[in-house]
Amino acid sequence: MQNLMTSMMLIAIPLAAQAIGAEKINIVTTTTDLGSIAGYIAGDLARVTSLCPGNQDPHYLQVRPSLMMAARNADLWIRVGMDLEIGWEGPILDGCRNPKIRPGLPGHLDASADVLRLEVPTQRISREFGDVHPQGNPHYWLDPYNGRIVARTIAQRLSILFPVYQQEFHVNLERFCSELDTRMFGDQLVRQFDPNQLWARQIEGTLDSLLASQGKTDAIGGWLAMTRPFRGQKIVTYHRSWVYLANRFGLEVVAELEPKPGIPPSPRHLEMVAGLVKQHGVKLILQEPFYSTKAARWICDRTGARLVVVANSVGGQEEARDYLALIDLVVRQVCAALGGN
Amino acid sequence: MSLLAIFSITSSLCLSGSAALADPLTAVQSLNPDVSAVLDTYWQTDDVRDSTGSLLEAIDGFAGTHAHEHHQVDGGFNMRHLELSFDGCVDPYFRGTAIAAILEDGAEMEVAQIETLSLPHGLRLKVGKFFSDIGYLNPKHSHEWDFVDQPLVYRLLLGEHGLNEIGAQVSWLVPTPFYMLVGLEALQGKNEHSFSYIGQDPLPARDGPRLCVGWLKLAPGMAGANTLHLGGSFAIGRHQEARDGNEDGDPDHWLDGQTGLYGLDLVYKRDSTLPYGQGDLAIEAEYLYRNKNMRIVGHLLDRSLEGRCKTDRQDGYYIQAVYGFAPRWRCGLRWDQAGLTNSSKIEGSTSKSWDSSWRISGSCDFCPSEFSRLRFQLSKARLRVADTAQDVVEFIVQLQVSIGAHGAHAF
Repeated sequence: MQNLMTSMMLIAIPLAAQAIGAEKINIVTTTTDLGSIAGYIAGDLARVTSLCPGNQDPHYLQVRPSLMMAARNADLWIRVGMDLEIGWEGPILDGCRNPKIRPGLPGHLDASADVLRLEVPTQRISREFGDVHPQGNPHYWLDPYNGRIVARTIAQRLSILFPVYQQEFHVNLERFCSELDTRMFGDQLVRQFDPNQLWARQIEGTLDSLLASQGKTDAIGGWLAMTRPFRGQKIVTYHRSWVYLANRFGLEVVAELEPKPGIPPSPRHLEMVAGLVKQHGVKLILQEPFYSTKAARWICDRTGARLVVVANSVGGQEEARDYLALIDLVVRQVCAALGGN
Repeated sequence: MSLLAIFSITSSLCLSGSAALADPLTAVQSLNPDVSAVLDTYWQTDDVRDSTGSLLEAIDGFAGTHAHEHHQVDGGFNMRHLELSFDGCVDPYFRGTAIAAILEDGAEMEVAQIETLSLPHGLRLKVGKFFSDIGYLNPKHSHEWDFVDQPLVYRLLLGEHGLNEIGAQVSWLVPTPFYMLVGLEALQGKNEHSFSYIGQDPLPARDGPRLCVGWLKLAPGMAGANTLHLGGSFAIGRHQEARDGNEDGDPDHWLDGQTGLYGLDLVYKRDSTLPYGQGDLAIEAEYLYRNKNMRIVGHLLDRSLEGRCKTDRQDGYYIQAVYGFAPRWRCGLRWDQAGLTNSSKIEGSTSKSWDSSWRISGSCDFCPSEFSRLRFQLSKARLRVADTAQDVVEFIVQLQVSIGAHGAHAF
């Protein structure tokens, strides 16, 4: 009898798992970048929908019924957080009437929970400063290190919600991280060192000395090798959306074309930026495809700086098919422009 | 990389909530409700002797019973109101919203509503004082309007505050493959234009709720950033009037009966991918029809009319388009007409009908940021008052700002 029970259970468990598997996990993310990372982690187990297309400014998405419909049957809602979606997340969560994805529940995930944050205000802020976010700059996904953290955060939450697939999520996470690490540090370095150590050293700024001490500086590959020659270069961006990228690869943003976050460029401000560009020998102006290029061209004409218009989200340009391709595209474009002369 | 952390389920869930906050002070403050104030001020001028507002109160067929004095538009500087809003989750089950409209000479409770957050099957319950979801424009606060003023048909059939009542609402997001929201409301019925309650002799006393509202909102699936929204609604409720026929300041005849209000709305919106609202387009059209069936319960001037039925029929529509023609700049055009059907009939006695009134308005607004808006609006209207056409040209400059944690706006 005991044996029969055991053998029945042994059959029943995989059957139950299959029954769940018949219906895919429904993941809804606010942005395409989160959608791409969630797709890496959940693989074929999930259907991932992203609400804000990659070619649109995620600050200003209009709430509409189709977005509520997308979220209505979601098992997991993932947001960038740090108030990036403050203008539209609330009405969609209210309007979709999905009790599983209310904030505070396991079905609602803030991907910024564990990321490395920049520009967190240390003093009282005011809207006089423009669209400043009290919890820090929310464009953190352009730092591949944060992409890695977000992937882990998503894998953890998916494993809580769907413990049956914990193993799959774990394998997918490992695969994503190793792919990302390889693209960041190059093949050789990842084979010779523990990637966690590489990241820790890179963040500390001691990776160079470590590699130099072991005579392995030549082993650096990937995005790190591509950007190394340009470390310390000064750049100008349209919006404060590239600080994480600049921080990771050692670039310095000296000015934005927007006089204050969320306020379009004014002639007087552009005069000032043009002065800074000349003074610092800035070679690169970086901006997203959805902004007008008029202001940037005005400065380029006067200073000889180069304008690079590149997606800062997956889907913002054709080549930015997924998260890793996005970072790859941005790094290549930036390096091409900086190395142009 | 280890996934060990996932086994401490509770700790990880708590962490992801609190870790999002930079410091303990922020965490404590996040328990406060979202507080905001909307300041709405404007400068108005027109070419008529009486104010445009008083003409609107006297339009043929729509003239109200003047139960209370309205805040009249004054040529020159005006303060529409100061809107104070408190909003937050009560607990995991309820959300509370309190909005006070503070005028120069007092305050009005605009919204005091409690909504459920976690009912299953797409259901939601709302109780308190709120804007009815009848029509497309009615649930919108004045600072969400695309023009300074309401369309004529709203102003004339529902008044400046729209249908804003105490009661309860149940709504259901129907599990169809396209968006379909249906709702029913039981309201006290105190709208002085269409669902008024007096309850004093000789009018009968009637307990509430005296007004029942139902609506349906549909949004068929459309590609990309295009949205089509269709709505239909009805409101059927008790209505009482105390009228002053000889204009001596005291009511001399009283009516008691029922009003039916029926509406259709159609909205198309396009959300452009350009920043700062450039390229965004919104086209809206609404039609409202009202049918008042009343009995004359007392008539001091003509006793023979007592007991007779009086039937009033009025309608109106508006159609408008607003387009973001440059970053932060929008322009809008609205055509408004009220009283295409406009008749009043007393059974076995007089029957009257009036011509319609119309208005055309053009607006242009500039939003320096998401929290401020400067708007210019020019209107030309032909209003029917006492069987004569009154031409009015009106020009308004409006400045609206919002301070504090002002939440996002619904569709």
